[in-house]
Amino acid sequence: MFPAKRAVLALALAGTSAAGLAATPAATTAPRLADPVASYQIVCRLDPEKRTVEGSLQLTWKNTTARPAPTLRFHLYLNAFRNTLSTFRQESESARRHTTIPDSWGAIDLSRLTLSDGTDLLARLAYISPDDGNPHDRTVAEVSLPRAVAPGETIALSADFVSRLPRVSVRTGWKDAFFLVAQWFPKIGVLTDAGWKCAQFHANSEFFADFGDYDVSLEVPAAYRGKVAATGVLAEERPGADGRLLLRFRQSSVHDFAWAADPDFLVFEETFREPGSSDVALRLFLQPEHRAQKERHFHAARVALTGLSRLLGPYPHPTLSIVDPPWGARGANGMEYPTLITAGTRRFAPTAGHSPEQVTVHETVHQYFQGMVGSNEVEEPWLDEGITVYVTERILAEAYGNPRPILDVFGWRGTLGIEMHRPLDTSRSAFGPLARGAVASPSMAFSSREAYGAVVYRKAALALATLERLAGREVMDRALRLYFERWRFRHPSSADFVAAFEEAAGADWSFFFDRTIFQDGALDYAVTEAATAPAESPRGVLGDGGEPVAPTARRGFDSDVRVERRGTIALPVEVVLRFEGGRVFRDRWDGQGLWKRYRFGGWPRLIDAVVDPEGKLLLDLDRTNNGLRTRPDARAAARWTARSLFWTQNLLDFLTVAW
Amino acid sequence: MSRPSALGSFARGVGASISKPYLAVALWLIQLALAAVLVLPLGNALHTLLDRDPSSDRMVARPDYGWWETVTRVHPDVLGALPEAVTSLLSPEGLRSSQVSTLRGAGAAAVGLGALAVILHAFALGGLLGTLREPQASLVTFGREGLRRLPAFLAFTLAAVAGALTAYRWLFVETGAVMARRGLELATETQVLLITLGRLLLLGIALAAIKLLVDSVRSIWVARPDLPPVSRFLAGVGAALGRPLRLLGVLALWGVSIAGLYGLWLFLDPSAGGEARLALLPLIATQQVFVFLRCLLKVGYYAAVSEVLTRAPAPEYAYLPRPEGAASAAPAEPPTPDSPPDAASV
Repeated sequence: MFPAKRAVLALALAGTSAAGLAATPAATTAPRLADPVASYQIVCRLDPEKRTVEGSLQLTWKNTTARPAPTLRFHLYLNAFRNTLSTFRQESESARRHTTIPDSWGAIDLSRLTLSDGTDLLARLAYISPDDGNPHDRTVAEVSLPRAVAPGETIALSADFVSRLPRVSVRTGWKDAFFLVAQWFPKIGVLTDAGWKCAQFHANSEFFADFGDYDVSLEVPAAYRGKVAATGVLAEERPGADGRLLLRFRQSSVHDFAWAADPDFLVFEETFREPGSSDVALRLFLQPEHRAQKERHFHAARVALTGLSRLLGPYPHPTLSIVDPPWGARGANGMEYPTLITAGTRRFAPTAGHSPEQVTVHETVHQYFQGMVGSNEVEEPWLDEGITVYVTERILAEAYGNPRPILDVFGWRGTLGIEMHRPLDTSRSAFGPLARGAVASPSMAFSSREAYGAVVYRKAALALATLERLAGREVMDRALRLYFERWRFRHPSSADFVAAFEEAAGADWSFFFDRTIFQDGALDYAVTEAATAPAESPRGVLGDGGEPVAPTARRGFDSDVRVERRGTIALPVEVVLRFEGGRVFRDRWDGQGLWKRYRFGGWPRLIDAVVDPEGKLLLDLDRTNNGLRTRPDARAAARWTARSLFWTQNLLDFLTVAW
Repeated sequence: MSRPSALGSFARGVGASISKPYLAVALWLIQLALAAVLVLPLGNALHTLLDRDPSSDRMVARPDYGWWETVTRVHPDVLGALPEAVTSLLSPEGLRSSQVSTLRGAGAAAVGLGALAVILHAFALGGLLGTLREPQASLVTFGREGLRRLPAFLAFTLAAVAGALTAYRWLFVETGAVMARRGLELATETQVLLITLGRLLLLGIALAAIKLLVDSVRSIWVARPDLPPVSRFLAGVGAALGRPLRLLGVLALWGVSIAGLYGLWLFLDPSAGGEARLALLPLIATQQVFVFLRCLLKVGYYAAVSEVLTRAPAPEYAYLPRPEGAASAAPAEPPTPDSPPDAASV
């Protein structure tokens, strides 16, 4: 940091330094839930005019691996917005996350980096690009240490930095007086026995970090009084110099710290209570034009926390803040940070659309899968996004009904009365041509944001929903609980999830995970033939000789059914054949072969044959070919043809209205 | 003579439409024939896909979103990208010409059908306006007048189409592109929505103006065959500019009555509920009665416009038997289609 600026900051933060704040009386905060690996004390100052955050931090980092660490790696995420040559901008091309990326440059610059003994590390800092070798990318920096950090050893570092925020386009930045300050401070990577996990800032990737304790002091203009949302608990608030405001937030056992400020926020608070859980202060920071949606956000957060508490265990933190970014900052919508989530809504959001509810529930579920179960979002994003979508769909289905009408205006459901079924109908994008690639792929493996979303979010969720239907909900719930309890505040991998599931199920399910999670492929079962005809006796020359025998009628019918596996994914599947008189034949086909034939002689007339009648295999690409009836029934097609005729006549009239 | 109000004109127009129901029947038949072109392949595809599908039972009563989604994805030959093309009409980017090339099956047929509908629309309006001015007319009059006016009416219609598309392009698509860039810098979404509403309103006004202008030219074209073509055209433009509010009033009343009709349809919702509500044939009959009523209102609108512009409806030239004693004054040959009527027949 430049000396003059440093002096100003020192004055502004007088009495609020990290050391000074550490000496203040203990603030309200939750007990520590995890052994801290990377803990931060940060003191910083927001300059809304310059759109900068100047700060100093003290990092305490522990080498938890079995090998010494001669270097340290840091994320400098904001440098993704430094220029158009950064890996993020190159991968983004020109647009992503609903909005065009404006040429508003962000950056993070370090002006001091020292060890606790004062040893300067800044001169030893070099920008590296471990993922793609891009020489222009500055989102990862490596520092060689004068002495390697021994296994189990803890070191402390100090740094001064200036973060220049970009106009909100992706996750972080400003829009007018609104600030979402995320990925904003120098953040150490995760050291594993296999080396550093410190990915560059990519277009599709999210984040990965170690757990620790955060003690962050913010200095903001007085206009933001009561309008600042942040990770953790507000432990202290007092006036600063020049009418500014000093706020101190603390939170243990988290892996990130984000905050948001907007003088226009409407702030609401209520307490969430659930038997067996500590009270949680729900704080909603809402845009004025969304005032009418207050209860919808709170309700969504309540049903999410209730569902999660019952499925996995109590939410352990004392707060959960919901931030509603303003219009023009949609790139900041729908993000999860520890104890702070950003919502996503519109001025008019029909209740049937469940748009704000879905986002709020989804991000709240992330408090568990990502916030507590700290999987690597870069290398195995399905572990948090796929599981989160799956759990979100379950919570939404229970809370808001399933199926639900697609159009509902003041209770009127529209002439078509179309209904959406969770999770299948809401995850159909997974069946598009973009959905190529194995679910357990790293985020950089996908060609586009759409492909990433289709596979990592939707296909993964459908695979888990399929798994639930095959193994049973009890097994699934047990597995999720086991996985959560075993891996909260740790870093699991896909193999750990599989192990937890198999332990809960008490069986080997590798056949399922190998084919649906770890390999690319398509699943499609079809009934390709279903025929029935009055049974006939054998004809032709029977026995050793003599005249051919003419056919004679027999009792019953001869029926012939063929089912096929058209996709590359083979899973066990049920086949049901219904006969007249209520007779039913059921078979559990292992699904391994390309086809299977069923022949029945002398049975009642076959009515229809259906593969996967209960719709367990939600990954089935084409469910319209899952059954055949032997006698056509034209009722549905006739009615839809009539509807088509009617609306075509109407559309033709509309077409000529203007001229 | 007092000026007729828009409401009075519209009411009398609907009355005229009811007195000549074959006009609405003609419109209904044209739309039915056009729709059949599209619905026949679509219906065949539906029968192929649904008749032997055991899950079609539930499709009788209510639509299955998943089924339709699967069909559009797995059988792109049925609809092509028609739903995307339709929805993009109201997107800021508008409908791109490249989207037309992605249409297949019924989607592609729909585009061809749209073009055919424009031509038949020109024919139908010629027949309709010509017939409305005949005290004693029939379906034959409709056909004759339609064909007689087709060249001029087709030119008017195509000009109106071009005008409407130009208005759509510059008042909706281009302003949408500007909004896509600058709208995000506005403080609230409410502001953006208000601007969007303004854009739509502007487009609606432009389209209404184009429609009233072309309808006025059509009406005067039929009512004043005594004028040379250019004068008829200019008289039509002048008539529209001379009575804009009454014309707009008639248009608004037509729009409100059509909206009311659709509102009633959506409220009663005869298609829902499957056979428990209405069997197939009664359902089709109900649908077609609705379409017929809509056609009746459409004819009423044109009759009202004709009345507003010409005040005293009179036959362009009579096909009635001439009164005795006038035989010597009768021309040796019947009038040519666009020849002015003789004084006796006016």
